[in-house]
Amino acid sequence: MQNLNTTFIGIPISSPIVVGSCGLSSTVEGIEKLAKAGAGAIVLKSVFEEEILMEYEKNVLPNVGPMGNDLEFFDYYDYQIKTEVLNKYVQLIKEAREKVSVPLIASINCRSTSEWMAYAVKLEEAGISGLELNLFRLPFHTSQTSEQLEDEYITIINKIREKVRVPLAVKISPNFTNLVNFARRLSATGIQALVMFNRYFNIDFDIKNEQVISGGAYSNAAEYMLPLRWTSILSNRLECEVVASTGIHTGEAAIKMLLAGARSVQVVSAIYKNGPTHIRAMLHDIDSWMKEKGYESIDDFRGNLSQTMADNPEIFERVQFMKYFSDHKA
Amino acid sequence: MNKIVAKEFFSENVVRLEIEAPRIAKARRAGHFVIVKNGVDGERIPLTIAGSDPKKGTIDLVVQRVGVSSRKLTELNVGDEITDLVGPLGKATHVEKVGTVLACGGGVGVAPLLPIIEAFKLAGNRVITVLAARNKDLIILEEQVRKYSDEVVVMTDDGSYGNKGLVTEGMEMIINREKVDLSVVIGPAIMMKFASMTTKKHNIPTMASLNTIMVDGTGMCGACRVTVGGKVKFVCVDGPEFDAHQVDFDEMLLRLSGYKGIEKEAELNYLSKNCNAK
Amino acid sequence: MAVSPEFLKAEREQPWRVELRSKMKNKERTALTRVHMNEVDARERILSNIEVNQGLNQVQAMAEAQRCLDCPNPTCITGCPVEINIPKFIKHIECGNFADAAKTLKETSTLPAVCGRVCPQEKQCESQCFYTQKMNAEPVAIGYLERFAADWEQNSGQMAIPEQAPANGIKVGAIGSGPAGLTFAGEMAKKGYDVTVFEALHEIGGVLKYGIPEFRLPNRIVDVEIDVLKKMGVKFETNFVVGKTANVEDLQEEGYKAFFAGSGAGLPRFMEIPGENYIGILSSNEYLTRVNLMNAANPTTDTPIISGKRVAVIGGGNTAMDSVRTAKRLGAERAMIIYRRGMDEMPARVEEIKHAQEEGIEFLTLTNPVEYLADSQGRVSQVRVQKMGLGEPDASGRRRPEVIEGSEYLIDVDTVVVSVGVSPNPIVPDSLPDLKMTRWHTIEVNDDNLQSSIPFLFAGGDIVRGGATVILAMGDGRKAAAAMDEYLQKNQ
Repeated sequence: MQNLNTTFIGIPISSPIVVGSCGLSSTVEGIEKLAKAGAGAIVLKSVFEEEILMEYEKNVLPNVGPMGNDLEFFDYYDYQIKTEVLNKYVQLIKEAREKVSVPLIASINCRSTSEWMAYAVKLEEAGISGLELNLFRLPFHTSQTSEQLEDEYITIINKIREKVRVPLAVKISPNFTNLVNFARRLSATGIQALVMFNRYFNIDFDIKNEQVISGGAYSNAAEYMLPLRWTSILSNRLECEVVASTGIHTGEAAIKMLLAGARSVQVVSAIYKNGPTHIRAMLHDIDSWMKEKGYESIDDFRGNLSQTMADNPEIFERVQFMKYFSDHKA
Repeated sequence: MNKIVAKEFFSENVVRLEIEAPRIAKARRAGHFVIVKNGVDGERIPLTIAGSDPKKGTIDLVVQRVGVSSRKLTELNVGDEITDLVGPLGKATHVEKVGTVLACGGGVGVAPLLPIIEAFKLAGNRVITVLAARNKDLIILEEQVRKYSDEVVVMTDDGSYGNKGLVTEGMEMIINREKVDLSVVIGPAIMMKFASMTTKKHNIPTMASLNTIMVDGTGMCGACRVTVGGKVKFVCVDGPEFDAHQVDFDEMLLRLSGYKGIEKEAELNYLSKNCNAK
Repeated sequence: MAVSPEFLKAEREQPWRVELRSKMKNKERTALTRVHMNEVDARERILSNIEVNQGLNQVQAMAEAQRCLDCPNPTCITGCPVEINIPKFIKHIECGNFADAAKTLKETSTLPAVCGRVCPQEKQCESQCFYTQKMNAEPVAIGYLERFAADWEQNSGQMAIPEQAPANGIKVGAIGSGPAGLTFAGEMAKKGYDVTVFEALHEIGGVLKYGIPEFRLPNRIVDVEIDVLKKMGVKFETNFVVGKTANVEDLQEEGYKAFFAGSGAGLPRFMEIPGENYIGILSSNEYLTRVNLMNAANPTTDTPIISGKRVAVIGGGNTAMDSVRTAKRLGAERAMIIYRRGMDEMPARVEEIKHAQEEGIEFLTLTNPVEYLADSQGRVSQVRVQKMGLGEPDASGRRRPEVIEGSEYLIDVDTVVVSVGVSPNPIVPDSLPDLKMTRWHTIEVNDDNLQSSIPFLFAGGDIVRGGATVILAMGDGRKAAAAMDEYLQKNQ
């Protein structure tokens, strides 16, 4: 096997495949399987502030008794739910920590600078190697400008950085007006890695029954092109590591991301579909390609096709298919 | 109800009271405690149970004078009745055969330790006990401890009895000599903190029985809360025993000092009043 | 168990009620204005524990009773969890038959003097009053009148002992002596059972003693009611924790045939934010227990209390109001409520909020603590709070609090009372491994008869509801008694 060592949030890892935050890592057994299959690091299932809020509103508040009598009991019950969820999470980290040696990264999703900051500290104490902050909010507030939203994200990150000492990764969506500028702002906060991108829960419509349905939870193999472009554009422009995510289902896609300059890649859907052993298969493909190409280590080729290294950087900035379509008029 | 049938001074400030409490005597297990309140204006204070005689229907409490309430309790005599006594409270000690148990008792912490070493001994363990106190007078229950220990090491700060040195030195001596499978430490919070650090260094599972401020003792007030492994626990219903390596002793020490000023003042008041009366 | 409309109708058609109605036209009745409660002035009352509401005098009570229209369809009764025959007792007051008014209350309520003081009438009977429903006017002061009749009986020194069925010798136990347990005990004693109430604390009364302060519910009021129960033969065992001192099985061996768990919601919840374990931060349960049950503020008692000068109480329920008003009485210069929603969203009774405002309590609404800071001794010195905005209404119909970014600031405090709710007490459930519990750690019961998954164990009050009012707990005690009676008769 070639040398597949790289880093994630500054921590040396033995393979570039990082398991992204997902349900596969919600049990100690699951984590053990992923580690055994060769994951370089594992980002644990995300703790969602919103999920807790939803549970509170959907399951708790409707239990408020007749004539509002139980309100006092339920008024702050969301805190109770948070504590329970967090305690379970801390327990998972502690138990997994005993069993596996790969770096475990906790993932939290918060939408405000509330008491969630405190939880980051608890996770740090539980023995995580790093923290991934999932900035995952569908921006639909009509009154909020893009700039205000970006400022809010920066505030949240700065707050967390004040509180925790472990390295921090930030996972964002692609929906920013000027992604390069925002990525630079994020990097300047001192985070160790920028993970691009997280996926929204997709909705779809069932036109027969005229109902809103789930649009499929998994990424498809074609989705890698969006992170590929942005990884290439950003990888040499930021202080922090760039980590590619979404649509990376094969060793080939992973190689592309590394060529674009990604320090590591996050994989989720492909492992869901094929099981943890898929990690081994992907690593095998990377290894074979490297041997074929004569690369000893990942550093030998990483970033070869990043925008700043590319022979024709304009191609990355080209967004319209003018020529293509003009030639193929129906 | 709750009549005192025997009283014995272990030292100037430490008293053993044998009290009629048939239900508690029957129900109590190692690790349990009671809440005692004496007089209409009395304070509710937690005390660990040092032993019981289910046939006689009595329990043993060891009381150290640390404030007005405990002082008043030590001033009661045989034949007096304690107004309110409730228990047994808390979770009983989980006892099983583990091999060698290193039990460490500091000061009056030996009283709650006694039923625990008894239980571990009866479960077939090798029990080595380290008794520690500032001086010879403060070493209590040694004879009873010897009954259930394969070996007893006595440590005094001033060397007036046994070996001169701290409890941790006695512990190190044993740990360096033989394999220890479990350690139980009970005593002042500061002693438990250092004893626990000692066993952590050697990776020995350790439990500590915590003695915090309590009001009701049934989970109601939350005065006894401690942080264990990052989680908030109530000593009265989740404890009093916890994994010592997970306990935030610094926070516990801080919380124990919460009423110190008020208590000291109250005790001085009480003492001056009593002296005037005489 | 609902009171039948026919029965109510027959009662209403009794000659004395018909005659009373004819004495005054409805128009005249509705023209009267609602009585004001006699209150001790705020400046005076914060200097002691004197009861704030002083009750109505006879003239006031009889005048207020005239406002009641004695409706053919008394909707007010539907708003009462124990279905007090409201028009009947009010009409007795109107005639000056106070003893009969009290007797009417006692037909369905064990603790009328308590309910008259602590029930949220504005959400219950008074919200269903004809005046509120149809006239958009102030309801008849049902709560004040209830209290008047109950107090009149207490003060008369001749508490009526309810009629009891002959003793049947069957032993049953009530676990907990709060409103649910006391009501259950009273009802079972009426049915002839041999009832023992087990109480973990050294005093009988549960939350009525340790929780609700003297200025809202004097202990002597509760004691009079307990005395009646004792006269009915109910036995009380204090300092007895069922599940610890003796298990349910032990008690079965001693002859107990069935149990009612009314052990309440004892465990205080915290927010688990940084610094919450600093000295000077305590639960409302601890704060109120020290003051109410242990009388800690009295220098002759041994229990200490930290009585700060700058006290922040976190929460917006009745317990929070009790705590903050207690702090004021203990000499706080600043006594503050910190609540994350708005004034309108507070769960506390309207009257408690009004009284608190009169007493100079500061309300920092739309404000939420995120962290506590301490001095070098580990004593809380400041609380960092965040301002909140109100978003869309949530499932409780209240607007959801949302963080306003960058709005944090510090408030100097030396005592913080956390009053964000309680969890059900785990001791009884822990001692019964087969007992089915809910997601909220409450005992799961059959809604119709309050029977748990263990057939001989019934449960009610906060151990089932999580956190409710005194009156709902009492309603449960009554319902469980009826169901247990049926169960025991069937299984004889």
